[in-house]
Order: sequence, then structure tokens, then C-alpha cells
Amino acid sequence: MRRLLALALASLLLAPGRASGDESEEARLRARLKPELATPLIEVVRSAAAQGLPTAPLVARALEGASRQAGDAAILDAVRRYAAGLAAARRALGSTARAAELDAGAGALMAGVPEDSLASLKRARPSGSLVIPLVVLSDFVARGVPVANASNAVLAATRAGAADPALLRMRERIHERILRGEAPTGASREGLRELLMKTPGTSKERGSREPREKGRP
Amino acid sequence: MNGDDRWDDDVRVAYQLPIEGEEQARNRAIRRLRSESVTRRRGMGAWWVDPDALRMPPALAAACVLAVLVIGAWSGAAWMATRGGRAPLLSIATLPSGSTAVTFVFRAPGATRVSLVGDFNGWDPDATPLARATTGEIWTAQIPLEHGLHAYAFVIDGRDWEPDPSAPLAPVATFGRRNSLLVVGEDQAL
Repeated sequence: MRRLLALALASLLLAPGRASGDESEEARLRARLKPELATPLIEVVRSAAAQGLPTAPLVARALEGASRQAGDAAILDAVRRYAAGLAAARRALGSTARAAELDAGAGALMAGVPEDSLASLKRARPSGSLVIPLVVLSDFVARGVPVANASNAVLAATRAGAADPALLRMRERIHERILRGEAPTGASREGLRELLMKTPGTSKERGSREPREKGRP
Repeated sequence: MNGDDRWDDDVRVAYQLPIEGEEQARNRAIRRLRSESVTRRRGMGAWWVDPDALRMPPALAAACVLAVLVIGAWSGAAWMATRGGRAPLLSIATLPSGSTAVTFVFRAPGATRVSLVGDFNGWDPDATPLARATTGEIWTAQIPLEHGLHAYAFVIDGRDWEPDPSAPLAPVATFGRRNSLLVVGEDQAL
């Protein structure tokens, strides 16, 4: 009973704070955008909030579009698609995923990474943060590594128990290889091989081939 | 002592007698040798291994060594410049308040104004100007950031939006160009 009372009290105390936070975001949108754009955007933001999705990335995307002088339709479309990406990321990563994980996951999904890959990453690291693996994955895709290769590289490294610093080092090495003129696919394969050779508990032979996803030959 | 032995002794004595003008003759021979041009081995390969191929005063040799060092240093600086500031440029420190101070460094040759935009300042190009470092090409700004994932970019002269060459890229270029990503407060920030 005491717990219920405490929860109710906490809810009462927190509710105005959340409301004021939303109002703050809406005020920022109204201050920077024309009313005909701000109004539908605020609807998208409210809808996301009602689903329990983080709204800060949506507001940030709208403000970025305004600063880059994008058209109203482009801004609204980008925010809507990002809201859909956040919802898909939560489906893939689970309801316990933190805001930063959903933000990173939404970006990866919008770049073409399948939801299955995000779910596999979650299974590979069920209790740890997935923000760095998702950021590394997104960076690979952005630099031209095919989505399947990028997903496999990050998934294999995560399954091998590679910590975040090791993933970041792998990213830097692959980036350097690409800058030196190597093909992104080969660069990611070699980067993964190097990481696996240095990760305790993995053999050199294991590092010489990419892991197979379920259902892949 | 028979006649043969005596003859041998005479020859030995004759060999040991000083020769008149020998000293002058030797000096003449040395002078002639020095004045003659030496026939070198032919070919570039021989030149490279000939110890007498190059002769120069010590001051000139020191000047040559110094020139090589200067050219090497200049070439190294030029090579670093072509890398576009790819060295790790983010400096991250935890503040007593619990937030994190992040120092952004950006190399922008020829720029007159550089600012930082990101989700932390509403993507406002006027909110976070970078200060020019003494070297002239390097611009820096330090700002406190909350933990989490941040997207950002640099704006050069109010027009050109550039990602951070040292940071991970955002996967999608929603409004034309990709942003950079920064994670603060995870096991390892980047």
C-alpha cells in the first residue's frame, strides 16, 4: 500500500514536469517555425510522446531542417519518417531501450539496416548499451559499407564480446582503410578480422570469415 | 771465404748504400701523382659507392643536413594538412555538475567564421561560435553536454555545413549533408 501511495505521489510530482518539458519543446518549435509548419509538427511530437517515444530527436530534426532552410514539406516529412523510425527501433530493441538507443536505432533503420539486425544486436548484448554499436554500424553504412556487411561486422564483434572501445577502434581502422582507397567491403572485413584476432576468446580462424546470419547461406 | 761469398757481400753492401738524389726523386714522383687526374670507375653505381665522390666544406655539409630536415618537417606538415584534421580532435571531460565538457576542434583554412550547430543548441548557427586558435586554421569551442547521443556539424562562414572529419557520421543525410555523431556518457565517449 505504501508503495502504491509512493508511486502515485511520484506520478503526481513528475507529471507536471513532463508536461512542462513538452510545452518547452512546443514553444521552441513555435518560436522558430511558421505556424502552418509548427502545428502539424507538434501533432507528430505529441503522438510520439503518447507512444512513449523520445521527442527530443524529433524537435531537433525539425530545428535542423529550419536552420538548413529546408522546405516545410521536407521538414514535416523528415520528422514523420523519424518518428516512424523511433517506433520501429523500439519494436526491434524492446520496450526497455533507452532514448539514445532508440535515436541511434532509428538512424540505422532509416539507412536500410533491417529490424532483424537490430534485434540480433540486442540479443548479442542483452543488458549493455547498444548506442556505440549502433553508431558504429551507422558510420559504416554512411561510409559506403554495404548494409549486410556492416551489420555482420558489428554483430560479429558484439557477439565476440568486443567492448565499446574496441568497436570504436575498429571503426577508426576501417575508416582509415577506406580513406587509403580500399573498398569499403574489404575494409570492413579486414577491420573485423583485426578486432577478432585481438579479442580474447576468439580464434584467428574465426576472424577470417564473417558470421552467418540465421537463414543465410 | 771464397770468391762467391765475397761477391755476395759486395752486392749486399751496395744495396745498403744511400742513392744520390733518391729523396728528390721520391718527392718528384709524389708531386706528379698528385697532379695527375685519377681514373674513376665508370657508371652511376660506382659513383654512389665511391668514398671520394663528394667533397665539401663542413659548413656546406651542415647546411645540406639542415635543408633536408627543414624539407622533411615541411613535407610532414603538408601531409598532415591534407588529412584535413583527421586526428582525434574531440576532448571530453566530466564536469562537477555531472554534465560533460566537450571541446570541439575544427580545422578550416581560410575561414573567417566557424560555428557549431547541433541538437544541443537548436541547430542555431549563431549560438556557439568557435574561437580561432593562434595558428589561424584551427577553431575551438568548449561546451557542456548532457549524456546521450548528439548530432552536430560545423558551419563555415555562415554558409557551408561540414561534418567533423574525426567523428562517426550519421547514417542518413536528411537535409542534404550528413551530420556527425557524438556519444557522451556511455562507457566510452567518442
